[in-house]
Amino acid sequence: MRLKWILTAAAVSFAMAGAAIAADPIKIGLSGPFTGGSSSMGVSMRDGVKLAVAEINKNGGVLGRPLVLVERDDEAKNEVSVQIAQELINKEEVIATLGFINTGVALASQRFYQEAEIPVINNVATGTAITQQFLPPKDKANYIFRTSANDTIQSAMIAEEAVKRQGFKKPAILADSTNYGQLGRQDLEKALATMGIKPVATEKFNIGDTDMTAQLLRAKEAGADVILTYAIGPELAQIANGMAKLGWKVPMIGSWTLSMASFIDTAGANGEGAMMPQTFIQLGDTPKRKAFIDAYQAAYKVDRIPSPVSAAQGYDSVYLLAAAITQAGSTDGKKVREALENLKTKVEGVVTIYDKPFSATDHEAITSNIPVFGVVKGGRVVAAHPEDIAGDKAVRVKPATN
Amino acid sequence: MNILLQLVVSGIAVGMIYGVIAFSYQLTFVTSKTLNFGQGEALMLGALVGLTTINFLIGQALGNWLAYLLMLPVVFVFGMAQGTVVEWLGVRRAVEAKSEAGWIMATIALGIIFRNLAENIWGRDALRFPSPLPEAALNIGPIRVQPMEIAIVLGALAMMLAVEVFNRRTIYGKAVVATANDKDAADLMGINTRRVITFSYALSSTTAALAGVLIAPVTLTGATMGAALGLKAFAVAIIGGLSSGMGVIVGGLILGITETLTGYYISTGYKDVPGLVLLLLVLSLKPSGLFGRAAIKKV
Repeated sequence: MRLKWILTAAAVSFAMAGAAIAADPIKIGLSGPFTGGSSSMGVSMRDGVKLAVAEINKNGGVLGRPLVLVERDDEAKNEVSVQIAQELINKEEVIATLGFINTGVALASQRFYQEAEIPVINNVATGTAITQQFLPPKDKANYIFRTSANDTIQSAMIAEEAVKRQGFKKPAILADSTNYGQLGRQDLEKALATMGIKPVATEKFNIGDTDMTAQLLRAKEAGADVILTYAIGPELAQIANGMAKLGWKVPMIGSWTLSMASFIDTAGANGEGAMMPQTFIQLGDTPKRKAFIDAYQAAYKVDRIPSPVSAAQGYDSVYLLAAAITQAGSTDGKKVREALENLKTKVEGVVTIYDKPFSATDHEAITSNIPVFGVVKGGRVVAAHPEDIAGDKAVRVKPATN
Repeated sequence: MNILLQLVVSGIAVGMIYGVIAFSYQLTFVTSKTLNFGQGEALMLGALVGLTTINFLIGQALGNWLAYLLMLPVVFVFGMAQGTVVEWLGVRRAVEAKSEAGWIMATIALGIIFRNLAENIWGRDALRFPSPLPEAALNIGPIRVQPMEIAIVLGALAMMLAVEVFNRRTIYGKAVVATANDKDAADLMGINTRRVITFSYALSSTTAALAGVLIAPVTLTGATMGAALGLKAFAVAIIGGLSSGMGVIVGGLILGITETLTGYYISTGYKDVPGLVLLLLVLSLKPSGLFGRAAIKKV
């Protein structure tokens, strides 16, 4: 009898040890638009994430367990993304989710992760409200983090660049009629107001509009000396092409979407010189960045990363999550969130070196000093002010807060 | 004054785009009293097939201009085939079953299927269509026009003229006109009206497909390009009158010019409103359209 117990106990412990050796993987959700109008951002983000996961797994995984991605295409649609969130949480039982390109999609679906107490790291979507949806004390704790430069930061940078750095006094704002465009326009107007500047024209257009003559003529007649934009690729290209048609050329400065391939490729020569804030430029100015770019080019057989910013932010979000899981010593959502809010190790990413990137009250890894201005030149985005990323300015880090 | 001229010129270019799509709606309506609500998708498919063809031809070391010309017959044939498919699958059964609304749902459904198909083949990104003409704008007096905008206006007019000539000068065209005037009488005269209706669908889709490759160098190409244009053109067809070829040109110009003028003189946020108000006015005051013949419908 006793022998039988001993044997059983031995068998059970062997079985458990066996499980530990086989190391059941850590499941991480990945949600983004991999088809459709924002797919260049979604696919780059996904590929950046996959690159980081492959590297981590090659080095033994996290807590001795490999990371496994559960990828889902949210098609940039709120309703699809909501279904995906529920599937990832309840069926796949992921321990965290990375992704979201579209602000509306993020706002609609991260609610489910918040309720399930599973951390989310937004690595591309920029809507200012994203990290502020579940702030304590209203909610017990906020599970939503971000590694992209939000719209408040971007609009302030755009205003700063146009007014202070380049001395334009009469900006015209051209924004599309979506949430993205109109919230961005509000942020831009606020940022300009702090400098005592009122836009001479504020124009609107719909997704799919083919003619920008009226908007551009209004801006021109109002005496605009620069055009500030909040829109996405195809319509931005129509603005650049429309200006060429009217034979009117003023600089275009706008949100980071001016780096979208659908703008650069469809505007062609007319898009040269457009400027936008970028957290990452495909330049390889530090060894870490060079290694990342080389690895990306080798893995996906491309020369130009479709959306370098998305790829870099996606890559970094994996390392931040991995560091938090390691520190927590567990995949429990609550413990991982606490670890993210109090990361004790420095994480060297390609965008920046993350030294205490988050706190209980601040879930934004990127501060306004980190992004630099990019400019479209020869069909690629390069640094607008090379001195910004020269020498010790190459890696800009979030200032320490106490 | 110069600004007004510039706005009107841009409005004419946009309006002709609406007009030519509206014209293609009108082609099927006169013969069968049915419409293809997937006309925007016929335009989009034409443009995307054209894009693939022209890129292939340019890849064969042909110039943009020659590649564009050689691409046109391919799009023509594709449009004929696509229209025939729509008529066979979506319209014929519903009309034979004397279903009042069946063809509406069927053509909408086919339109959605075509859009999904296009999304899977070409993706959902907006793509650049190589322009056969120089892209630099021309100075004509005080105004500036892209050569392609002029081509759109001329091309649209040429297409409509070609259809008119075909209808008046050829025996097949006369069969179409006879069916349009009185389907039952045409039937009795030995005209195969069923075939005429299939043909009018083919012609209608070809017109839309050719309109697609005509406007693509200006508007960008993509699976969703047809949706907004198809709807606007439908409004134009109602404003101008579904039974009048002349009406759709005028209707298109009215809508295009109102849009750009409202955008400039009132607000770009309200650009689409006056056109739709006009649509409501026409529907309540002259439901057959500005140039339409009032039809007596026997019930």
